[in-house]
Amino acid sequence: MKKKILLVLMIVVIALSFTVACSSDNSDKSSDKLKVALILPGKKDDLSFNQSMYEGMMAYVDAHPDKIDLKVTENVYEVSSIEPALLDFADQGYDVIIGHGFQFMEPLVKVAEQYPDTKFLLGTGYKFTKNSAIYDVSLQDGGYQMGVIAALATQTNKIGVIGGADVSEIYRGHEGYKLGAKSVNPNIEIQEVYTGDWTDTAGAKEAAVGMYDSGVDVIWHSGDGIGLGVVQAAKEKDKYVLGNVADQLQLAPDNVLSGVVYQWQAVLENIFNDIESGKFMNLTDDERFYWITAENGGEIYAKINDPKGWLTADDLSKIEASWNDLKTGKIDFSVIEEPTT
Amino acid sequence: MLSNIFTVGFFVSLLASTIRLATPILLPALGQIYTQRAGILNLSVEGTMTIGAVAGFAATFYSGSLWLGMLAGMVFGLFYGLLMAILSVTLRANQVIAGVALNILAAGLAVFFYRVIFGIQSLPPQVEPFKMLRIPILSNIPVIGVIFFQHNIIVYLAFVMVVVTWFILEKTTFGLKIRAVGENPKAADSKGIGVSKYRYSAIVIGGIYAGAAGAFMSIGYLNIFTESIIGGRGFIAVAVVIFARFLPIRAMWGALLFGLATALQLRLQALGIDVANQLMLMLPYAITIIALVLASKKADFPSAYTIPYSRKDR
Repeated sequence: MKKKILLVLMIVVIALSFTVACSSDNSDKSSDKLKVALILPGKKDDLSFNQSMYEGMMAYVDAHPDKIDLKVTENVYEVSSIEPALLDFADQGYDVIIGHGFQFMEPLVKVAEQYPDTKFLLGTGYKFTKNSAIYDVSLQDGGYQMGVIAALATQTNKIGVIGGADVSEIYRGHEGYKLGAKSVNPNIEIQEVYTGDWTDTAGAKEAAVGMYDSGVDVIWHSGDGIGLGVVQAAKEKDKYVLGNVADQLQLAPDNVLSGVVYQWQAVLENIFNDIESGKFMNLTDDERFYWITAENGGEIYAKINDPKGWLTADDLSKIEASWNDLKTGKIDFSVIEEPTT
Repeated sequence: MLSNIFTVGFFVSLLASTIRLATPILLPALGQIYTQRAGILNLSVEGTMTIGAVAGFAATFYSGSLWLGMLAGMVFGLFYGLLMAILSVTLRANQVIAGVALNILAAGLAVFFYRVIFGIQSLPPQVEPFKMLRIPILSNIPVIGVIFFQHNIIVYLAFVMVVVTWFILEKTTFGLKIRAVGENPKAADSKGIGVSKYRYSAIVIGGIYAGAAGAFMSIGYLNIFTESIIGGRGFIAVAVVIFARFLPIRAMWGALLFGLATALQLRLQALGIDVANQLMLMLPYAITIIALVLASKKADFPSAYTIPYSRKDR
């Protein structure tokens, strides 16, 4: 019996080694560079939240090859493994440690207090210390713009929005979408579905098919892992879809109308400038939130692609006007309440 | 208000969606009926499906042939089933532990090979999935046609397999022997039925069904591969087998019930029914649990369920 238990254990170990093997090593040994550790809760090619940060960070490193020595670790998802990972990097003398996700907040704040000379960055959240800051996406901006585009494009007066779970930025994005759509047409019908997570591609596709069947002709999705399913539904039903995180035009050139595109580089530049100048340790509370917004170019919308010709020249100028309003901060989002969680 | 929601169009869309959603649960469940009837609880269905999904996707992407993709899914499902068979039959390992370990291994392997093959891309590679196949004449019947006869070929085949599986298990000697090694392996052995041989066959067949279902997800249902593409459907399939008391026809009803609950909750949410979305999301799982509890009381488990067989044991 012992033998068998041993064998099963060996298989588990082999399995785990595959997971570990996926963490990549981009470091080289020069010492004058800033040592940065990026810890991702998922995989860097998840087509979503993790990938956008991974690519933003890689773009920043490529632009400043002599400044940053980057180490990326993937799949640190369980809260129980986050704290050891943070401690480990802090112990190894990393200068900047990035925890990319809301679940990093509690352990990150705790570890940051133990290592006051190390800088910590948190991807979405609200707690911080003297040596940590938060970067986040102000998705109501992008959502608003998508709402405006959807409401102008629709031929049936029915539009939809599909998201992962109603937390934080996703919730704000959806509320922004509704606000934007109603600014064009107060009587528009908006269907909304949360699939519960960001990975159920098939469930999201089914939700989109249901919406399209009931007469909806434009859907925005606010999480692009599940969004791939929405794009495919649009392709099958030959209706329009609006993307999120990355420009998804190539996925369905006849059906992707536009989309929100994240540019984390926009804040990474600021963050690392503040770290270099030493300002980082003396930020005010408000300054500890680095938002990507329409205003700072952290969010943009993908070029309108309208093969069905649903948008008139007048509509296009309205879309541009609303983007200008967002860029100059003219839209009032104070009506959006945070979800009570 | 309610009459606005529950229109004919609503029900047609709902039921068509139910059938699509039931398919990736029905196929692996049918395969697991062989496996469980032979006395093996194989919890690695989820992992086997993930392996089938990545194999099917890669094969289709490079060959351009969807059928080659289905074949690749089935072949890799077969091999993954073989692994479970070696662990549970030859090495007589604890089936629950072996199944869980294989799931972890599959998740790692699938992502590892997907990355080796496709690298990291900002937009995912896609294939052209199975097209909708309208059954002539039947698909033109209003309502019924849209619900039942406008799906892709794999959906029809999955439902055909219900009858095939029932026939093999109930009406052939092969099926009888599989049931025999699950009910009383010692008696079967004394009658000259190779217990290992039939248990191996039953697990490998389960692997082939699961591999096919995995490939269906990546090239039939969707047109991409993601690491969580199976999304728990493998585990639901294992539950459906027990709910179905190891009978193919009942497994079909179980899969349809889960499909209906999922399709319904997505539509009710979209229409703005005033219930928290978290509660709506629970609906399919809550129904599965209730159905399981009610059905498993009466379930007639194979007598040698999860018990490894050895001639030496007395």
